Amino acid sequence: MFTELNSILNTSPDSFTQGEFILVSDRQSDASFLIHHFLSFYLRARCKVCFVGLVQSYSHYSAVSQRLGVSLAQAKEKGQLIFLEGLKESLSILNPQEADTGSQAMDFLRDPAVGLRSLYEFVRSGLSSSDGGEDEWGPPVLLVDDLSVLLSLGVSVGAALDFSHYCRATVCSQKQGNVVMLARCDGEEDEEDDGDDEGEGSERLLKGLSHQCSLALQVRGLPTGYCRDIHGQVEVCWRRRQADGQHTQKKLFQYKVHDKGASFFARGTSSAVL
Amino acid sequence: MSVTRVTASMAAPANRVSKPSGERLPFNTTSFQKKTRSKLLSIPGTRPSVQNGQLLVSTGVTSLDYLLGGGLAVGTVLLIEEDRYDSYSRMILKYFLAEGVVCRHELFVAAAQDNPTDILQELPDPILDDVAIHKPVEQPRLSCEPHDSLDAMKIAWRYQNLPKVQSALASSSRFGHYYDVSKTMEPEIRQAAKCHPFYLPEHPTQSSPTHSPMLESYSALLKSLEDVIHREGFDVATPMSNSRNILRIGLHSLGSALWGDDLCCHDNPRHGHALATFLYGLRALLRSSLAVAVVTVPSHLIQNRALMGSITRLCDNAIALESFKGSERETNPLYKDYHGLLHVRQVPHLNCLVSQLPDHKDLAFKLKRKQFSIERLHLPPDLSETVSRVSRGELAGATMVASACGSGTSGNKHLDF
Amino acid sequence: MLPELLQGTDAGGFLIIQDSVNYSGRHLLWSFINAALNREEAVHVLGFEVSEEELKDGLKGSHIQRLHFHDAYTDPLGWTDQPAFTVHQFCLEKLTHLIKQTSQHKPATLVIDSLSWILRHRCPPDVCKTLQQLKKGGAVRVIIGLLHADMHQRGIVGSVCHLASSVITVAPGMKGDEAVAKTTKRSKSGKVMQEEAIFCIKEDLTVVVQSKPSHLGSRQTDPEEQETDPTANLTFNLRLSDTERKAKEKLALPFVFSKEKKSALLHSGPGSGRILYEPDANDDYDQEDPDDDLDV
Repeated sequence: MFTELNSILNTSPDSFTQGEFILVSDRQSDASFLIHHFLSFYLRARCKVCFVGLVQSYSHYSAVSQRLGVSLAQAKEKGQLIFLEGLKESLSILNPQEADTGSQAMDFLRDPAVGLRSLYEFVRSGLSSSDGGEDEWGPPVLLVDDLSVLLSLGVSVGAALDFSHYCRATVCSQKQGNVVMLARCDGEEDEEDDGDDEGEGSERLLKGLSHQCSLALQVRGLPTGYCRDIHGQVEVCWRRRQADGQHTQKKLFQYKVHDKGASFFARGTSSAVL
Repeated sequence: MSVTRVTASMAAPANRVSKPSGERLPFNTTSFQKKTRSKLLSIPGTRPSVQNGQLLVSTGVTSLDYLLGGGLAVGTVLLIEEDRYDSYSRMILKYFLAEGVVCRHELFVAAAQDNPTDILQELPDPILDDVAIHKPVEQPRLSCEPHDSLDAMKIAWRYQNLPKVQSALASSSRFGHYYDVSKTMEPEIRQAAKCHPFYLPEHPTQSSPTHSPMLESYSALLKSLEDVIHREGFDVATPMSNSRNILRIGLHSLGSALWGDDLCCHDNPRHGHALATFLYGLRALLRSSLAVAVVTVPSHLIQNRALMGSITRLCDNAIALESFKGSERETNPLYKDYHGLLHVRQVPHLNCLVSQLPDHKDLAFKLKRKQFSIERLHLPPDLSETVSRVSRGELAGATMVASACGSGTSGNKHLDF
Repeated sequence: MLPELLQGTDAGGFLIIQDSVNYSGRHLLWSFINAALNREEAVHVLGFEVSEEELKDGLKGSHIQRLHFHDAYTDPLGWTDQPAFTVHQFCLEKLTHLIKQTSQHKPATLVIDSLSWILRHRCPPDVCKTLQQLKKGGAVRVIIGLLHADMHQRGIVGSVCHLASSVITVAPGMKGDEAVAKTTKRSKSGKVMQEEAIFCIKEDLTVVVQSKPSHLGSRQTDPEEQETDPTANLTFNLRLSDTERKAKEKLALPFVFSKEKKSALLHSGPGSGRILYEPDANDDYDQEDPDDDLDV
């Protein structure tokens, strides 16, 4: 959990906006550090968390969370955290040895055309299973790292958007929880090019998610090139009407990721250049 | 207070194999804790990373090890985008395998083009004897003693305390071996290593009834890999025995047409997601085993850049080799000392928030007889007497370097600070 | 033109609000809903992208009792057991039935949030056909649809907009809360009107148009800014009073010589020496062509 980011977003584990759909995106950069932030944030906020980790192993997330001061193993044990380790689940499907060993959640690997309904079912049942201890944990939270890897595995953009829509309808609206999704893009931003050839998949996914989200954190590399001391910039964009009446508000920060956190600063105020 | 946090944790959590996973650190303890070295996995040819305690193996190329933050982490995949004629990428693959032979690791070599046994016969000869003498000769001395050169600095005395420029990338401690590419490895040494070849034409692929996006060739490869890992005990989940070893996996030219993939042939290939799905499965497999993979891909043939991006993201490390052979850059005086450029496409994120970013992104390589060296790209000193006469060519070089230094920029003119 | 559209002075039609990732048109859509509710019209919202709670929260203070929400948000594809409205039910019969259920006599306003959702799942010709039938059908007076133009191919956006009687394209404005709306309106007679306006939406969802023709507006603001005197609020003095100027002119600057001295230095008087030079044989004269290294 990065306290500087919390103050930028005007939130804290004790009080945060419910019903938000947070989109984390990156372009020629890596925004996965923000996923770790949100994971530790919501675990500290005592939310019931469902984590769909598709790109890394459980031990990776666990090791990073440990550095951020949260134990995933304990959270899992207490029933606070539901963890889907995509890599592990996928092996039994990609290399079928015995019939039907893997869970249903990764069914799309068998045939990407069927869509992500089974993955959604996993999320829904995971977040609603705590019938007895409703009051034990706070609002449900879904984290997905990352949605665009599904496209690499053959899932269509439409199916990914349907999945995110259902997650939003269930988690944000019905259960008043939060959703955080990461989407990655590696192309340059082409404002003029839109619409004609529908763009490439990850680009269209990002656009669709941007229309759905209520808060977007866009991470990208510095426009002037690679720098060792400033890892990139984050644009924070509120797409919903804030308390002060403004509805689209944008702020730009530069950031640097450290061993145990990240620092955010206004443009040009890095300690490396001052 | 000396805090040693050198614990061999891997992408796969091997150091925790012996104890049940429930026995974790209590909530909110600091990670400053002394872990004894007895828990270290002692496998020949490996060492823990000084930065994050990952278990590393050498790629066989010392300067590449340095570039990758000490070596390749066990459980990860290194993607090499081939140069146009696949000469240097193939060389690195051979270095990687030769290093495995020298360290007595097991090998898994898969190829569709040449028989893996042929690739193994071409492995370079290790320089085992002169390792101790070899190093100081090859590497210029670092700037440890500035007093030596104190007399020399009379006019430009302001620079006397600056470190000397060392353009070849190298770490201070020794790891990995040097090889003589003009000779091939002795058959006795080579045959001592256990190797599992996978030659695609020898594996009849049966068409599978599923709608999986994977190709049959890749499924067969993944299945064969999984078999070897389970059978030979490279699985982290198998009970800890004393003799654990590393499996080095070399996969040559994945994505080429010979693998049955049309990735290189069309803009919108029918099997566009086959390689990405295979790499996803490979990552899944490696994360739970004591294995490390090097994959080469003929990226210059892949028409769709977006697909290449998704392939890169499913590997941990990614570098691209750009040879000057056959490009207009060969004749550029700026590059006369080098054989090609090396681009770092991706650095791994493993068990830590921050990734090891290289100091520099402008790198070039050259293949010498005894060393494949990766160096920082800089202009050669202009020692010619007719400086004014060649200035035109040099100028072209200088503008090239200016654009090379700005690599990664999107061409915007404004400054961030 | 934007205020006229909001007031709904037209007899009917089909209005599309086009937006993009950079600026969401949903608030403008809500302004239209709000305006229709204030006119005591029945408004039917076919909501794919926003939940009923969020919409009603956004329309706080309006006459919500005449708002009928058809929930296509919770389960638009029928993944759960009891879908309220799925995207496959988007056809004339179903919609007419839904609308007739609640508002029997007066033709209602149908709001579709958003057309993009439907276009993603249904083939565009079907969607266009249904929209056209609805427009003609009689149960609906006005259709207002939101369309995320950057999510579809240009041809699809064009085909849908072709059916519309008015298209409002919104984009972010230059500062803060402002946005730019490009309005194209086709009247029945075939007359086409186009207008660009800067607007902002207040908290009670009323739309304030700040400047009507935007190119004029921007030109007007520029000279105003130029007219402000940059020397007005300086902390130091740039001007001289008359006495100060006289004092300044009186002062002799160093190294400025008097006229006499200058002319004495510049014009040599009679009787002074000159240098005469004639090159001789011993002179070092370069025989070579000085330009021979030019390679011409």
